[in-house]
Amino acid sequence: MRTGGKSYVSSPPAFSNDGKRLLVCTGNTVSIFSTSTGLQIASLEGHTGSVTSVIVVPTSSPAGKILCYCWTASLDGSIRYWDFSVPELMKKVDIKMPIFSMVIPSLFVQPAERDEKSTDLLAYLSVEDIKEQENKPNAMHGQIRKCNLTASRLIGGLILKETPQPEFITVSPSGKFFGIRNKRKLHIWMVPSKDSGRFVAKKITLHHTKKLTVLAFHQTERIVAAGDVTGRILVWRGFGYQTFCTGHELVCGRLVNKEDRPGVRGSDDADSSSTWHWHSGEVNVLLFSSDGAYLYSGGKEGVLVVWQLETGKKKFLPRIGSPLQYFTYSADPTLSSISCADNQIHILKMPSMEILKSISGIKLPYSFPEIHEGLCSGFAFDYASGSVALRTVNYGIQFYSLLDDRGIYEVQICERNHQPADEITVVVNIVALSQDGSMMSTVEVKLPEEGIGGLVCLKFWALSSENKKFSLSTVIYEPHRDSGISAIAFHPTRHVAVSSSYGGDFKIWVCNDGIQQKGQVLQSSGWACLAVGAYKKKPMTAVAFSSDGSVLAVAAETVITLWDPNKNVLVAVIGDTLTPIVSLSFAGKSEYLVSVSQGSKPQLSVWSMSKLSLSWSYKLQIEAVACTVDLSSFAVLALLPESSVCMESNDSTFQRRDGVILLFNVTDPVPVATWSVRKAKGGGLAFLQGKPSSLEQNDSGGNAQQAFLVYINGDHEYVLFDLYGNDENELRIPRVEGLFGLEETGKHGYASIYGELPEIQRNQTMLVPSLPSERPWETIFSGSSHNLPPLTKLCSAFLQSLMEKRTAVVE
Amino acid sequence: MAESNSTFRPVKPKLKPKPRTPKETPESKYWSSFKTHQIPNLVSSITSLTFSPIAPHPFAAAHSTVLTLFSPQTLSPLSNISSFSDVVSSASYRCDGLLIAASDLSGLIQVFDVKTRTPLRKLRSHTRPVRFVKYPVHDKLHLVSGGDDALVKYWDVAAETPILELQGHKDYVRSGDFSPVSHEMCVTGSYDHTVKLWDVRVADSKSVMEVNHGKPVEDVIFLPSGGLVATAGGNSVKIWDLIGGGKMVYSMESHTKTVTSVCVGRVRKKNGEEANEHRVLSVGLDGYLKVFDYGRMKVTHSMRFPAPLMSIGFSPDCRIRVIGSSNGVMYVGKRKTKEENVDSGLRSFWSLGLEEGRKMMRPSYFRYFQRGQGEKPKEGDYLVMRPKKLKLAAHDKLLKKFRHKEALVSVLGCKNPENVVAVMEELVARRKLLKCVENLDNEELGLLLMFLHKYTSVPRFSALLMGLTKKVLEMRVEDIRGSEALKDQIRNLKRSVEEEIRIQQSLLEIQGIISPLLRIAGKR
Repeated sequence: MRTGGKSYVSSPPAFSNDGKRLLVCTGNTVSIFSTSTGLQIASLEGHTGSVTSVIVVPTSSPAGKILCYCWTASLDGSIRYWDFSVPELMKKVDIKMPIFSMVIPSLFVQPAERDEKSTDLLAYLSVEDIKEQENKPNAMHGQIRKCNLTASRLIGGLILKETPQPEFITVSPSGKFFGIRNKRKLHIWMVPSKDSGRFVAKKITLHHTKKLTVLAFHQTERIVAAGDVTGRILVWRGFGYQTFCTGHELVCGRLVNKEDRPGVRGSDDADSSSTWHWHSGEVNVLLFSSDGAYLYSGGKEGVLVVWQLETGKKKFLPRIGSPLQYFTYSADPTLSSISCADNQIHILKMPSMEILKSISGIKLPYSFPEIHEGLCSGFAFDYASGSVALRTVNYGIQFYSLLDDRGIYEVQICERNHQPADEITVVVNIVALSQDGSMMSTVEVKLPEEGIGGLVCLKFWALSSENKKFSLSTVIYEPHRDSGISAIAFHPTRHVAVSSSYGGDFKIWVCNDGIQQKGQVLQSSGWACLAVGAYKKKPMTAVAFSSDGSVLAVAAETVITLWDPNKNVLVAVIGDTLTPIVSLSFAGKSEYLVSVSQGSKPQLSVWSMSKLSLSWSYKLQIEAVACTVDLSSFAVLALLPESSVCMESNDSTFQRRDGVILLFNVTDPVPVATWSVRKAKGGGLAFLQGKPSSLEQNDSGGNAQQAFLVYINGDHEYVLFDLYGNDENELRIPRVEGLFGLEETGKHGYASIYGELPEIQRNQTMLVPSLPSERPWETIFSGSSHNLPPLTKLCSAFLQSLMEKRTAVVE
Repeated sequence: MAESNSTFRPVKPKLKPKPRTPKETPESKYWSSFKTHQIPNLVSSITSLTFSPIAPHPFAAAHSTVLTLFSPQTLSPLSNISSFSDVVSSASYRCDGLLIAASDLSGLIQVFDVKTRTPLRKLRSHTRPVRFVKYPVHDKLHLVSGGDDALVKYWDVAAETPILELQGHKDYVRSGDFSPVSHEMCVTGSYDHTVKLWDVRVADSKSVMEVNHGKPVEDVIFLPSGGLVATAGGNSVKIWDLIGGGKMVYSMESHTKTVTSVCVGRVRKKNGEEANEHRVLSVGLDGYLKVFDYGRMKVTHSMRFPAPLMSIGFSPDCRIRVIGSSNGVMYVGKRKTKEENVDSGLRSFWSLGLEEGRKMMRPSYFRYFQRGQGEKPKEGDYLVMRPKKLKLAAHDKLLKKFRHKEALVSVLGCKNPENVVAVMEELVARRKLLKCVENLDNEELGLLLMFLHKYTSVPRFSALLMGLTKKVLEMRVEDIRGSEALKDQIRNLKRSVEEEIRIQQSLLEIQGIISPLLRIAGKR
C-alpha cells in the first residue's frame, strides 16, 4: 500500500537554517525538499494525523547553520522534535488534543536576552476542544493554550482565548508578540520576558469593520499589519504601548491624545492605523521582509505585491497563476518561497522575484460550472508509465507520476492567461489517453456570455519521441457543431479515436500520419474525420472500444448501440436502462460490457455480448469504473447512500467513509473484495500494471500478473495497493528514484556561465609531500627552499611526527 | 514551467484549416511566376506566334494581314511586315533567325529578311489558302507548307520551286511540324482527322505513318525527343508514340472546347535538373491554358484567360510565354530570370572590389558603431542568451491592463478581422464583451457596426458575430435612433443581411435539387 498526492500547501513550509532545504507538511509526514533541485530528499514519518506546523529551531551563529532541529505539531495531538538531517525523532510530547497551530516565541529571542538559567521551552498552541463538541451546538471549539515542551505537558487550566474555530497563531519575528485574528478583531499577546508556566500573557485587541484574514508582525518595531476579506491591508503602528508597558520603560507613562491617533478605532491601543488597498479580493499572504523595510502581500489574484513600508510604493510579481497561500523567507536573503493554492511551491530568487524552481504536487480539484458532467471525472491514466493526467484550473493537463509521487510536467491546453479571481469560463472538459499513452485528446469548452461566443474545441496531441512530452497535433473547432462532447475513446491498437456528442452523433477520427503521397511532400500528420454515426438522433453519452478494437459500443442515452468501427455499420442494439448511461467499458478481454447510469435511478449493469442481454445489475451510485486490461474482473467505486453514512458515523472506524470500492468478476454478481474509502465523491479508480523490471525483483509475490489498483479520492490524494497480495505487505515496486541528492549536479557559478575550464595539468612532481612518512624528520626539510611548504605547516608536521602515536583502541 | 507562468500570452486568432493538398506546387508556382502583360490593339485574331531560335528570341505574331515582330525585352513591337494581300496564317523563323517565312490565305508564301523586312522570295504554287509554313530545324534551304488544297509541299526556297508534293490528305491541311532530330521527317495534321508522318527522302510521296486523331486536327507538334507527337483536335490533346508504331500514349481531355494550339514549354528547375522538364502547353477556345506533363501524364497547371485563345508560343530560353486570343489581345507572360540578377551580381562584385580599399572603418562613420553585430556564433562558443522580448500588439497591452473597451476599439481600428474576433472571444471569456458594447460611444459604435456589416456574413466569424449583432442592436437602439451616421450603418448592415438570406435561400434551392439526385445515386 502506498499513498501519495498529498497537499503541499495545507500549512506553511519552513526553510532550514542554511536555506538548502524546505520542510513541507504533506499529510501525516513532513517532506524535505532541496531548494536547488526542487526534488524530495527525505521525509519525517511518525505522526498519525496531518502535520499542521513545522518550526525549524533557529540559530544566530554561522556555525549553527548546519543544525537541523525542528518541532512539528499535528492533528493527532502530539508535538515532536526531530533532527531532520538524519532524520530521527528525538522527542515526543503528547497533549491529546488536535493541534491546529503552534508557535514557540522563545526560540526567536536572542540568546543574550534570554535568561541565563535555562528556562522551560514554552509553546503556544491553537487546539480544538473535542470534549465539548457534543454538548453545545455553537460552542467555542478553538482554544489558545500554553504548553511546556521541556516538561512535556500542557499547562492545565490556562486557556488564553476561546474562538469558534481553531485559529492560526502568528508570532512576531522578535519573539515578543504573538497574535490571532478573530472575526473582525485582532488579539495580540505579549510574551512575558521571564516566561514561566503559570504566567498569563497580557492581551490587547484591535478592531476593524471587516472580517480579517491574516496578520503579520514587524521585525523590530511595534507594527502589525492585517489583511481583510475586501483586500484592504491595515497597518497599525505603535500598538500596545499602554498595555504592554513594563516598569522601567519610559514610553509607559506617555499619554496619547485620543484625537491624535489617526485611523485607530475606539479605545484600541495603537498610535496610528493606515489602510492600503490594492487587492481586489481577500488578502491571504502578509509578511514583513526580514529587514523590515517591505511588506509582502498576496491574495486571490495570484499577484505578489511588495509594499515599501515608508512610502507605500508597490512592486509586483504578476501571473503566478493561482491564489497565494503562504510566503516564507529563509535565512538566506536571496531565497524565499510562495505556496499557491494549486499545490505548488515556488522558490523565488529574492530581490528580482524570479521563480527559480517549482515544487509541484498533484493538482487539486476545482469547481467549475456544470456542463453535462459525465462520469469521467477528469482523470486519464497512463497505464504504461503509471502516471495520471489531471486537469488543472489554468487550462492545462498535469502529468503526475503515481509511482514516484511527483509531478512530471504540465501541458498547456489552451493558450490563455488565467486570472485566478475571475469566474471560470474556459474549461478543459475531457482528457483521454490512448492505451499505450502515445496519444492524447482533450476537449475544452468556452462558455458563452449571454448566449454568444461559446465554443467547443477538440484537440489531439501526440507524444514526441525526444522529450516525452505531448505536442499539439490537430485542433478541431466545434467538432459536433455547437453541441458538447460527452466522451472520447481511443482504439486499443490503431490510431483511431471516437468522440460522442450530446447533439446526437458520434464521429470516428483517424490519424493520417505516415501517409506519404507519391511524388509529393510529406503531408503533416493530423487527425481527420472518417465517419459519422447516429442512432435515432438520441444524445450519445458514452463510448468504448472492445479490447481488440473490433466492436465499438456507443451509449445512446438509455440503450447501447454496437457498431463495427471498420465499416461504420450498426451491428446490434441492446438494453434499456432507466436513466441515461454515462459510462461504458469492456471488462478486459471478456465478452462483457459494464455500463453505469447515474441520476435518480442509478444503475450498474453488466451486459453479455454473446447473448446481447443483461447479465446482472445493481442499483448503486457509481462514481468510477476501472477494468483490468486482460483479466475479466473490474472494480467500481460506489458512493454509499446518505442513510448508511449516518448509520455508520457512530462507528469510529467508519468515520467519514462515504464510499466503497467493489471488485467484481464479470460472471458473478457477488463482489470478490470490498474496501471502504473516504471522500469518494469525485474520485477515480484505475488498474495499473507493475513495471516489468519491478516484477522481476518481486519474486516473492507469487503471481506474475501483478495489477495494482489506484484509488484517487475527491481531494486528489491517492493510494496504490496490490489487489491479490496481502494488504499488509508493502507494495514491492521499488521507488524508481525515490530520493534525490541535496545538491543539483548541474553547473554553478562560473561554470554555469562560461562552461567548464579546461583542466590545467600542473606538474605533479613539483609538489613536496607534506604528509608525514614513517620517519618524516629525514625528508621533511629536504629539497630546495622555494619548494618547501610554509614553516607553520612544516613545524606542526614535524612536531606531530615526534610525538608517539597512541593506539586507537579505547577500552 | 516557471516562464510560462509569468509571461503574458497574447490573444491569438483561431487557426485556419490547412488545405488537404498543398495550394501551390513548385510547378504551379513556376507557371504563375510569368507576369502577364496585355498587348491590345492588334487588328484581329492572332493566328500564329513564333519565336526566333536565336538568342534574344524576338517573336512574331501574325494577325490580320500583318506580321508584327516584337522585342523580347520591352515587349513592344519592333516592326511590322505588311506586304500581304490576305490574312497571314502562319510564320516560321529560319534556324539562324535571319529569315522568316510567312504564308497567307491567298496561297502565297513569302520569305523576308528580318532586319530589312524585304520579301526575298515568293513561293507561289498553292492554289488555295496556305495554313502553315515551317522551316526545318537545321536546314536553311527548304520549307514545308500545307493548305486548303489538301497538299503538303516541300520547297527549295532558293529556287522558289516545290521539290515534292505530298499527297494523301483528304481535307484541309491545318498544321505541321518538322522533327527536331532530323530535317527530313515532318508531320502534318488535317481536318480529315489524320496525322501523317512524311519522309522527304521517300520518292513516291506516300506517308510513312498515319494516325487517326478522331477529330479534325487543329495543331500537331513534335515533342523534343523526336519520338513523340502531340496532336490537338476537338477537346483533346493526344500524345502518340511514333517509334512504337503510332500508338496513342495518352489522351488529355481537360479542355471543354476545341483546342486550337499546342506548343512545348519547359520548366526550368533551379538546380539545373534536366529530367522531366518539358511540358505540353495547350490553349483552347474555352480560354484555358493547360500545362500537361507528359512524363507523369498529368495536368500540372491550368490558367484562365478572358477570351477564346487561338495560338501559343513559348520562348526557348523559358522567359516568355505568348498567348494570342481571338479578339486581338495578346497575353504575354514574362518571367524574371537569373540572367538579369547575374548582371547586377557582377556589378556588385566589382563594387565590392572598390570597397575593399577602405576596409578600415573610422568612428566618424555610423557603421563603425555597429560593427561586429552581425557576427555569427562559432561552434563551441558559449552564448549568453537574452530572454526574448515578447512584442505585444496594442490591444494585447490594453487587455493586459484590463482596459477592455479600449482594447476592443483599438483592434477595431486596425484592419485584421481575425484579430478582432480573437479579442471579442477573449472578452467573452472574461465576461466583458457586452459591458464593452454598452460603454462604446457613438463614434466607436460606428466602427463596430461597420465591422459587423462587413464580416457578419463571413462563415468563419458568423457564429459569434450574428449573436453579437443582435445584442448590439438590442442594447444600443436609442443611440442608433439618435444618430444619422449610425442609421446609415444599420441600413448597410440590413442590406448585407438580406443578401446573405438570399444566398442561403438559393443554396437551399440547389440543395433541394441535388439531394434527390444524390439519394437516387446512393441507392444504386
